[in-house]
Amino acid sequence: MILVISVLIAVMFGAGAYLMLKSDLIRVVIGMVLVSNAACVTLMAAGIGRGAAPIHPLEGPVSDPLVQAMTLTALVIGFAVTALLLSLAYRVYVSLETVDLDELSRAEVRREEELEREEVSV
Amino acid sequence: MLAAGLGMPWLAATVLAALDGRRRWVGWLAVGALAAGLAAVVLLGLEVLREGPVTMVPGGWPAGVGIRLRADSLGVLFAALSLVVLLAALSYEVIGGVDSRTFPAVVLFMAAGLTGLFLTGDVFSFYVFFEISMISAYVLTAYGEARQAAAGFIFAVVNLLGSFLFLIGVASLYHVTGTLEMEVIATRIAEVEANTAVLIAVAIFVAFGVKLGLFPFHFWLPAVYIGSRPATATILSGALANIGSYGVLRFGADVLSPELRFGATVILVLGAASILYGALQAVSRRSAGEVLAYSTIGQVGYVLLALGIGGPVGFGAAVLYAVVNALNKTLLFLANGLRGWLVGGAFAVGAFSVVGVPPTAGFFGKVALFQAGIEARSGVLVGLVFLGGALSFIYMFQIYQHDFWRGERTEEPITPGNRALVAGLAAILVGLGLWPEPLLAVSSAAAESLR
Repeated sequence: MILVISVLIAVMFGAGAYLMLKSDLIRVVIGMVLVSNAACVTLMAAGIGRGAAPIHPLEGPVSDPLVQAMTLTALVIGFAVTALLLSLAYRVYVSLETVDLDELSRAEVRREEELEREEVSV
Repeated sequence: MLAAGLGMPWLAATVLAALDGRRRWVGWLAVGALAAGLAAVVLLGLEVLREGPVTMVPGGWPAGVGIRLRADSLGVLFAALSLVVLLAALSYEVIGGVDSRTFPAVVLFMAAGLTGLFLTGDVFSFYVFFEISMISAYVLTAYGEARQAAAGFIFAVVNLLGSFLFLIGVASLYHVTGTLEMEVIATRIAEVEANTAVLIAVAIFVAFGVKLGLFPFHFWLPAVYIGSRPATATILSGALANIGSYGVLRFGADVLSPELRFGATVILVLGAASILYGALQAVSRRSAGEVLAYSTIGQVGYVLLALGIGGPVGFGAAVLYAVVNALNKTLLFLANGLRGWLVGGAFAVGAFSVVGVPPTAGFFGKVALFQAGIEARSGVLVGLVFLGGALSFIYMFQIYQHDFWRGERTEEPITPGNRALVAGLAAILVGLGLWPEPLLAVSSAAAESLR
């Protein structure tokens, strides 16, 4: 079981890291989501065990409720951060009309040239 | 006091989030709330210095079940320092006129996150507070032009990767020690298998290295700082970088101390690389924003150097230098947005403090570093600190000469209030240099709280 989970975490983290190295901002965001979920699975795996749901009154062996609480918190944080990143990517798209990092730097150079030309003509 | 210091900015932030931050009274309300939070933290600090660490379990849970808040001298010192920096940056922006709806609320959220982070005794709530302050930072950096949004995006992605590495570190600590309380982890980590403990320590160190902008993890830093407004750059380098300094001190010297001793050489080498890289890059740049950004990379190297030396003298030097550096950077980044003879003088004071010339506070930071170097009996380290200081003299006065002597105008609206603010900060630096006893006493008390 531990081996399966470890492999799962490794694949998720690796795929996420690979996507984050792409120049497309949306792919970077998706990579971020994968990495954040890999961290959440790690959190779950840190206290994994067989047992009943930890609901009061406790009967017999229960699974660790603390990791579940932590994972829930981490998931919410990851969700908020994803929303923020997507809104940033949207802002970049609206103002520069591209979400590709390579294109972005080119667009920037073009803009600066235009500004210079305007200054010269004024 | 612990609850007041933490709750005040938080409550104010949630209220302010609904208000329009561009109105003057809203801005001043935010300044007032932040000042009240600072006052509570200072009172808490006096209590901690007199009677030792203060702990509290909120929510009426029995101890051992609830999340524990714990204020010791190190945490309180960093909390007070960060709030001073945030207060200066927020006042600067409010005096000059805020032009974003959310700015005051976001600064207060960051204040709440930072206070919580420095005053918690639990590694998972540390992560949560850490994310609160980081998310505020992402919002702050992305604010501005479109180009800034792209820089902010990269900043957010790199730092999120750091945060998730930290989260994985927290999960592994929980797995191997079965607890989330820092004090208990510190005692149980000795029984953990050495390989595992070192791996966890590396993950946590990399996470804080990214926040600090240490040499191999620095690549996001210049692009973000250069495009930021003076107040934002101040917050990033004066308040947010404290997370990194506090994190390496708390986790390195306190929670994972055997691993710190094991990795001391690596930390010394990275610190030295940061100092040299930052200083050499700064010397070769011309625009003030760029020079200050690279200087930030160099300055955190000193904190790491002192940490690597270790022992009471080394930790004391690391704390003192982190405090002095945050104040220096606040003054320099704020002064960089303004012009005039008063501001020029203040900038020169900041520059002297970075170099370490008396009678500024920076002098004592450098003295502590030299002491630590001599303690370690290492001529190389002493020479490195000296070389770094000499290079910082060159780059600081290059920009002073270029920007203040030649008297180039910036488009920033200049208000007398902001000039007075910057001059006040310079006066604090000189004051701490002339009467350093309180600062030295507090920082050695903070170093003592690390075992």
